[in-house]
Amino acid sequence: MNIATPFFQQCAQTPDKPAFIEENSSITYAEFKTQIEKVATFLKKQQIQNQCVAIALDRGIDAATCIYGVLQTGAIYLPLDIKNPVTRLTTIINDAQPSFIIGKGPAPDWLEKSDSWLDISQLLLTDAESYLPVQVNSTDLATILYTSGSTGNPKGVALSHQALLNFSRWTSATFNLDQQDRIASLAPFHFDLSIFDLFSSLATGASVYFLPSRLSLSPSRLTAWLSEYKITTWYTVPSLLSFIALKGALATTPLPHLKRILFAGEVFPSQHLIKLADLLADTELYNLYGPTETNVCCYWQVERQRVTAERTIPIGDAACGAQLTMDNETGELLVKSLNNFSGYWQQGKLQSFNAEFYPTGDKVSLNEQSEFLYHGRLDRMLKCSGYRVEPAEIEQCINQLNNIESCAVVGIKDQTSGQRPAAVIVLKNNAKLAETIKPLRQQLAPYMQPCKFVVLDALPSLSNGKTDYQAIQNLFKKT
Amino acid sequence: MKQKIREFIFNELIFVAEPENFSDDDDLLEAGLDSMGIMRLIMHMEEQFNITLPDSEIDPDNVKSFNALEQWILQHKT
Repeated sequence: MNIATPFFQQCAQTPDKPAFIEENSSITYAEFKTQIEKVATFLKKQQIQNQCVAIALDRGIDAATCIYGVLQTGAIYLPLDIKNPVTRLTTIINDAQPSFIIGKGPAPDWLEKSDSWLDISQLLLTDAESYLPVQVNSTDLATILYTSGSTGNPKGVALSHQALLNFSRWTSATFNLDQQDRIASLAPFHFDLSIFDLFSSLATGASVYFLPSRLSLSPSRLTAWLSEYKITTWYTVPSLLSFIALKGALATTPLPHLKRILFAGEVFPSQHLIKLADLLADTELYNLYGPTETNVCCYWQVERQRVTAERTIPIGDAACGAQLTMDNETGELLVKSLNNFSGYWQQGKLQSFNAEFYPTGDKVSLNEQSEFLYHGRLDRMLKCSGYRVEPAEIEQCINQLNNIESCAVVGIKDQTSGQRPAAVIVLKNNAKLAETIKPLRQQLAPYMQPCKFVVLDALPSLSNGKTDYQAIQNLFKKT
Repeated sequence: MKQKIREFIFNELIFVAEPENFSDDDDLLEAGLDSMGIMRLIMHMEEQFNITLPDSEIDPDNVKSFNALEQWILQHKT
């Protein structure tokens, strides 16, 4: 089945219900269907089934329309982060090789193949033909989500219709979503949390409210917004929930409608979770876990009496019908699930991942209740504001600058939550640090910018000649 | 006061290549100050200057630059 199909089925039941609400506009299920059909009618003439279409639009109704329109024609949607620096966007586009890129207005200057650019406002002028989503094979791809890659370049995680449907069905059933639900959506569409906002929601008749981005910096306005729109459900990242728990005026802004909060992407600092759980005594809280390659594979409903400041909470039991095992030697979590990705999208095509179990690279153990506990990475990957960041990608960027002899990037722990990248650098030709690293601002996404730099005469190394990352970590602990 | 805030932000929260060229009106949010950073900054300023900054006033307008931060703090210093 096509991941767009459940929406069309639901639309027949609740045509007049609002589907998406954004700051100055809203759209009902029936209106949304018409808009999708305009985009799909246009795209269908281009014969793009199983090809990739990039979407360069901000989170909102237009972008959601394009996503569903692309899916309806049997093509694959690739959400771009338009806040990314141009160099990273170009790298992703050159790797993905999309047939089209849908954006707003004329093609941007940086785009090499400007004839692949489509303006959304033009697409929406198409005379729509009414038709059901194209039949797809369950293993056909639905989306490609680019994340940071350990080889130094971003890599596209390719997810099938079946993988998205399995996740969408499990979430709708587990969290009892229905027509009464009002779901807040803040996750950008290139972030896997958005799969919930886009698909679990509209399969059940719920309404999706796009949370204005600037409110993520105004915690008390954010909670006032949740209250005003009587939001029932929100899937977000712990760092933002910590901000709300500590500074969101929740004591004076009760949220009686908020039935459940789901969070994922990073470890929730327990002292902040306790605060949030106290302030939202009647809201169910769920810790969801899983790399983009498996989507959610493990979850734990927060049992308030079991949360203590000294210990991190469990990631819990299998979710979405996943089968979980542990490597006996390393403790690595291995996942078999219908959610699992199909492979990485590289150079315009799928490099299939054929193993039964996906090795997550995360170290886990089981507690007395047979729940999984998370113990961090087996490799160097970092989690920064919920995004995964491969130090190798930052190192590659730094190494390409002038006057760099060598460099190494490690994660330093942030007091409030998560990690931040930090870099040690060896300079050539008596270069100055400030001048040397200035271009980085234009090359790395904000969450990938190192928060500290240290200049050394040489990188510390182990007796086998490899870089001593532990020594570098210790260096930052002292500064 | 601005110097102390500067030191904290540039040493602990964000890295800018040439802090001496970062003016008091330059945009801190564009330079990478995010929600986690703002939370740490507020806690730090409350402790450092012995003030309480009301939750309701935490807003991009009050934290966007060193001048905005100074204004905001001065309103709460008695």
